[in-house]
Amino acid sequence: MESSAEEYSAFEQKVSRTVYFHNLSPQVTESVIRTALDQFASVKNVKFIPNYIGPSNLPQCALVELDSAKKVKEIVSMVGQYSFMMSGMPRPVRAQPAVMEMFDDRPIKPNRKIKLRWLNPDEPDFEVAKQLKNLTRKHTAEIEFIRKLQLDEEEKLAKQQEDTLKVHYKKFKMIDGIMADKTAHRLARKYNLHVADE
Amino acid sequence: MVEVGEEVIEFKWGNVKSVGGKKKDVRFYESFSYDGVEYSLFDSVFLYKKGEPEHYIGKIVKIWETADKSKRVKVLWYFRPSEIVNFLKGSEALENELFLASGEGEGLANVNPLEAIAGKCNVVCTSKDSRNPYPSDEEVQMAEFVFYRFFDVGKRTILDKIDDKIAGIEVKNLFNNLDSRKHVDLVKPGLEKKGVSRNFTACNEAVALLSQNNSQPLIEKPDGKCFDTLVRENADSKSLLGKKPTSRTGLKEASKPNDALHTISYKKNVPQAKGEENGGCKASLVKQKSFSKLSHGSRAGFEMREITKMDDGAGNVSFEKNIFMSRVDLGKDDHEDVCVHAGQINKGLGEQKASKKERHGDFGKASSAKMNNNGKNRKLITYDDDDDDAKTLAPSSSKDKYKLQREIDPCDVKELPSKKLKIDKTTKLTNDKLCKDYSKISSIVEQKRDFRPMEVIQRPDDLVACNSVAIMLKRSDTNLRQKDRSKWFKEIPWEERMKTAYEQGKLLLLQNLDPSLSSAEVQNIIWTGFQEHCTAKVIQKTDYSSPHSGQAFVIFKKMEAAAKVVRELDEGCFLMPNGLPLVGSFGVPCFPEKKPVFYGHHVVDQLRMMQMQRDMKDAVSTSHCSQPNNIEYDMAIEWCLLQERANKSWRMLYQQQGEQLKKLKAKLKSKI
Repeated sequence: MESSAEEYSAFEQKVSRTVYFHNLSPQVTESVIRTALDQFASVKNVKFIPNYIGPSNLPQCALVELDSAKKVKEIVSMVGQYSFMMSGMPRPVRAQPAVMEMFDDRPIKPNRKIKLRWLNPDEPDFEVAKQLKNLTRKHTAEIEFIRKLQLDEEEKLAKQQEDTLKVHYKKFKMIDGIMADKTAHRLARKYNLHVADE
Repeated sequence: MVEVGEEVIEFKWGNVKSVGGKKKDVRFYESFSYDGVEYSLFDSVFLYKKGEPEHYIGKIVKIWETADKSKRVKVLWYFRPSEIVNFLKGSEALENELFLASGEGEGLANVNPLEAIAGKCNVVCTSKDSRNPYPSDEEVQMAEFVFYRFFDVGKRTILDKIDDKIAGIEVKNLFNNLDSRKHVDLVKPGLEKKGVSRNFTACNEAVALLSQNNSQPLIEKPDGKCFDTLVRENADSKSLLGKKPTSRTGLKEASKPNDALHTISYKKNVPQAKGEENGGCKASLVKQKSFSKLSHGSRAGFEMREITKMDDGAGNVSFEKNIFMSRVDLGKDDHEDVCVHAGQINKGLGEQKASKKERHGDFGKASSAKMNNNGKNRKLITYDDDDDDAKTLAPSSSKDKYKLQREIDPCDVKELPSKKLKIDKTTKLTNDKLCKDYSKISSIVEQKRDFRPMEVIQRPDDLVACNSVAIMLKRSDTNLRQKDRSKWFKEIPWEERMKTAYEQGKLLLLQNLDPSLSSAEVQNIIWTGFQEHCTAKVIQKTDYSSPHSGQAFVIFKKMEAAAKVVRELDEGCFLMPNGLPLVGSFGVPCFPEKKPVFYGHHVVDQLRMMQMQRDMKDAVSTSHCSQPNNIEYDMAIEWCLLQERANKSWRMLYQQQGEQLKKLKAKLKSKI
């Protein structure tokens, strides 16, 4: 099953043509991405990265293969420069050039030799390795925690923005209201102010 | 039916069909008898497949003996629907349906050593082809598998009809006529009994010889005694059981509770033992029964499961389970467990003989499958007996399992001509399994003794150089199939597989892999480290994945294998090339919710939302770049800010973690 060098370089090409999108809403589908991007580049392939380990309410990520590596740069800079919205506001999506590790079907790197060994419980390294294992577990817990923290922050911001929006909306509605029922005009007359007629 | 006589003969050629080869030294046969089962041309057989719970199934299309006396069969393959799921193109396949290979290309047929045959398989052709004598309903019901369609290995398509020849063989030979007749033969009880008794005598002899072979008098004595008594005192198993424990206590660290259980179980034993009539076989049956009873006492539930599994005809599944169990309490208990297992198989067989007809009624297809699997079962028995015997000797002769393994090989080979076929040549069936299981048992032992760095090897199913020729040939010819299969599996949603695996406790999450490893490499790593087959899927990197530790979900074939790997990873340290020890835990995958929450997209009010939905319907996409003149832009900037903060914290976290790891790694003296 050793993948040939050509196969591997083909894969490398593919990676260089691919943009990684994240912070996508769950409502985003392949067709949404395609229509959103076809004004900039032709989309060859869209693949969502399944989220098997994280909390289920993480935003979606997707790998979008474009027709050339140049387009990847363009899209990344465009998305970074302007806030690009997909299927909702106001949280923008983000884009990065994809890297190999993002593909689950990556071929085996040719001529790669992997060496492994079991450690002898008697050697001092065994203890170190044990510590390393514990450290890994600790790190996993840390990552989980940060992830949760991040989600909490996001929730907080979302809530805050929602409140702001509500207030704005209420304000606009009120202005609308007083314009509609002529309260504004009456008041203007009373205070001798000039109100522009629409 | 070929008469084999009471002596230990397990192989005999049938009629010579023709003689060929340059020097007229290749003889083609029409049939042969192997391990008490008669096989003829165009019979369907199981072929042992290493590391897979399911056997390959094929049709014998040529039988011959080469100039150097090695026995060969050419096998035309059947495909299980799961193997060609990609090419079914939506058409439904029956649960027990097979597809006969046709066309031209790899995976059609190939030559295997005769010893790779694991048993007969009852495959009935239900094709409505006029050349095919349509089977009776009864035959169809009895059949383990049916086939009526063909798989063209060249074009990779499913065919309903077939030309006159497949792989140069007249199609009429591939249809029913010959196949069905054979099965009638096979069901005859006499043959089975003979086969069983032969095997048992064989085993007894093997043990006797084994012990003679062994230079340590201590073993020879009690063992010989044990078996003498076994053979002599058929009816009176009391003294037998009485003696056995004592002789055993001399042999090894057999514990007292063990003895106690013996005597307890003995009482239950006697009537059953009398029920059996089989000469030499009886004794060993009794012996094993006692063990199986022992297991009744100790872990009845477990045994029940075992037997059910045996009934399915998937013998090695339960076998491995046993090995696994024995490994849990490695040491004192292990001989016990293996014995128990052997007992179970025998018991299963005994029951099968006794209540064959009832079972037909009860289990219908299952039992018929079992009957036809007899050949297979019997093999398992021989194997188990070997194992059993070997085990009995093992702790006594030396506590080194390594040595044990070596001991078995020569003695089986030298002293047991019939077994030689199976065992010696290229570590086939018996020995192959034995080795495999031993490697499992002793894998820790071996690996812990052998702490040298090892290079990751490809799993044998991808690798041509495999210790079993049987597998090797099959594999080399079906490399294509193997490769394809990995692609086919993508069709079965991984989520679903993962979910079932998770529910069955077969799913592991590996950590500390090099993030750049591919799924196939992870599978090879697992194979190298544990000799376990698995399907791995690396977890794709996202923006917040750790750069230090790559993760992968791994699905094992069995729960036990998964548990074993977790335990070994927990107890031992399996150092990866990136200098980190592999960490494994039972995986808890996250499945997408129906209505996932997503923060950051707002709709101002109901009215607008409705309008938006209308918009979405009308204008497929609602994506746009934000303009700096509205509130949305400000909010987007807030999100960007939050995002940057998050990125920073992730960067810092990983940097910190990387430093911690580096510090610890620096302490590791040995580098790979």
